[in-house]
Amino acid sequence: MNPDVAQAVPELAESGIVPPEAAPLLLRVARGELLSVHGELRFLLYVGVLLITGGVGVLVKENLDRIGPVVIAAGLGLAALAALVWVVRVAPPFSWREVPSPNLAFDYVLLLGVLLAAADLAYLEVKFTPLGAEWPWHLLLVALATGLAAVRFDSRVVFSLALSTFAAWRGVSAGRLGSILWAHAGAVRWNAIACGVLFAVLGVVLVRTRRKAHFEPLAVHLGWLLILCGLASGMTESGRTGRAWSAALLVVGAALAAGAYRFRRFPLFAFGVVAAYVALSRLLVEALGTEAAEALGCFWFSITSILVIIGLIVAQRRLQEPL
Amino acid sequence: MTPELARAARAEAVRNAARSWRGAGVIDDAQLTAIRARYPDDRSRMGPVFRVLLFLFTLFAGNALFGFIGVLSGIGGTDRGDVLAVLALLAGMALAFVTDVQLGSLRRRQGGIEAATSLMAISYVLGAMGWWVFDNNHSSTAAVPILCLIGALLCAAAAWRWGYPLYAGAAAAGLLVALSHLPLGRLWWIVLPLATAPLLLRLSVSPRLPPAHRASCTVILSVALAGLYAAVHLGSWEAQAIEEIGERHKQTPPGGDLLWWLALAATALMPVILLALGLRGRRYPLLVLGAGTAVASLVTLRWYVHLAPLWVVLAVSGAVLMAVVFALRRYLESGRDGERHGFTAAPLFQDPARGRLLEAGAAVLTLAPEARTIHEEPKFEGGGGQFGGGGASGQF
Repeated sequence: MNPDVAQAVPELAESGIVPPEAAPLLLRVARGELLSVHGELRFLLYVGVLLITGGVGVLVKENLDRIGPVVIAAGLGLAALAALVWVVRVAPPFSWREVPSPNLAFDYVLLLGVLLAAADLAYLEVKFTPLGAEWPWHLLLVALATGLAAVRFDSRVVFSLALSTFAAWRGVSAGRLGSILWAHAGAVRWNAIACGVLFAVLGVVLVRTRRKAHFEPLAVHLGWLLILCGLASGMTESGRTGRAWSAALLVVGAALAAGAYRFRRFPLFAFGVVAAYVALSRLLVEALGTEAAEALGCFWFSITSILVIIGLIVAQRRLQEPL
Repeated sequence: MTPELARAARAEAVRNAARSWRGAGVIDDAQLTAIRARYPDDRSRMGPVFRVLLFLFTLFAGNALFGFIGVLSGIGGTDRGDVLAVLALLAGMALAFVTDVQLGSLRRRQGGIEAATSLMAISYVLGAMGWWVFDNNHSSTAAVPILCLIGALLCAAAAWRWGYPLYAGAAAAGLLVALSHLPLGRLWWIVLPLATAPLLLRLSVSPRLPPAHRASCTVILSVALAGLYAAVHLGSWEAQAIEEIGERHKQTPPGGDLLWWLALAATALMPVILLALGLRGRRYPLLVLGAGTAVASLVTLRWYVHLAPLWVVLAVSGAVLMAVVFALRRYLESGRDGERHGFTAAPLFQDPARGRLLEAGAAVLTLAPEARTIHEEPKFEGGGGQFGGGGASGQF
């Protein structure tokens, strides 16, 4: 309900700015006489998927012996199959462009089917160990299959799942990017950076080839987050190594901010600015030494923050980010 | 709120609605431009990304500057808490003035900086007050409610003057915490929301109030009703949670007495009442609160009554939830013009692309699989090693 809009609609309709045939609907919505629950239904479907997959997780963990592995594997497989068969039946024809969902539940039933199939595969792997020591490859299989499903059925949610599963295969938890920051393991760091580069390049390829170009923001944003977190994790190292990683983060962050500024990519601009600022501050605080760090550190942060604020205001005036 | 700020907020509400109409294809670009010309924006605003950046860097700059002044004046690291409190009070008052100037003569809104200065103003003044309150009352039993009351007053003033609904919610929460320290604190948590809810419901849609104040009333209503649910909840009664917040003497209540049964009935009935009121009046906050409290009551039921194993409860409730959504969608769509009783499953003027992007982000956070552990070649470390392998822990 919005009284100001309710007051404005008749005036706008009278002056011909709003089409007279649309005015009654606009007025009803503004007066609160008609309420859309579209977003709420989508949210509840998402929660439903989370609950079911959570239940499946507990089932697999706690009832291995009581129910029996074959029953669990078959049950999960059948449930996944039922969901995916429904998806295949109602799915619109394939297109490389964005395809509207045939109905409200489509994305969520697809997500449920993919998650159940992945859980089934993971269960089979744990119970029967078909890949043995090479079990991590099943994560790659799931990532590829999920990616194919995302492209075929045009689902951003499933595409994000494919990317995060691929990262998990390389030992990187996309859901907990903060953990990369404190992961002292060099391999995880390099894997995070490599995954990030791969995702960012994938995003560019999607746009250049005009194939599922609307997936690009997901790939590029997740990619840059992984790259920056990977580089930032190196700052926790001491001495010359830490300084080198800080310098790398400074250069990459500044380059990202400059590129994002040029191409009006606002979230990427924010990533770049924050990363470059953190890296520069880290280098300076280390250079100050412990004695001078308290006073000069406060001075540095206050002055440079004000400078960044001025720079951001100037940048916003030029870029005019939409409200 | 100044009349100019209120007028700007009303015009902004119309422009926002027009933008959503354009997104849904109800009007074209020329009509959107005409609406913007009719309801012009006299404020300096920022886009969401720049707003967040400016908010963060302003917080950073303000606090660093305060620290710098503290270090320069030699207060930092000493026990001169009184001087620091005076400094914080002065800084808070200066920041309040700066916020007022930005929202007034500088005509800023949604710029990030003024939100940050307002937050710092409240925090510094509250910090100074906190120092004096705790310095004069060594017992936290007396100091905490006084501080909560001061915080509630500050936040209420900020919400009223600057039009930030979040402060209104903080004020309501602070008041509830302060009331919990009074005798019969739980009763206050029940009586006050019940007494104010009808008025807040009316005010939250009153055309006389500017949008920000209407939103503030909605937030206060939500906090008050959440407090009411917490006060009548069976688990909260058994654990004496409100009394614990109020740091009052707790007495384990006898199970099965009249109050226990009343709490049980209230835990079951309150979600139903909220949902019924929300459905009847198509009031979105009541529907959200009704749904939230319903989930909490169902979890409570599971806590007391073990109907089935956890995995069955989760999977079945998920399946039932999805089935209910399917049925609800069909029911709404089969109505005349795709609506029933003033509800529709159609998106109307919502932006579906934005929602899908949020869902995809949420999927990365909630559904991403556990990353496999990468084993690395161990670096040489002096100082001895550990025994391990074959399931050994390496510790004796």
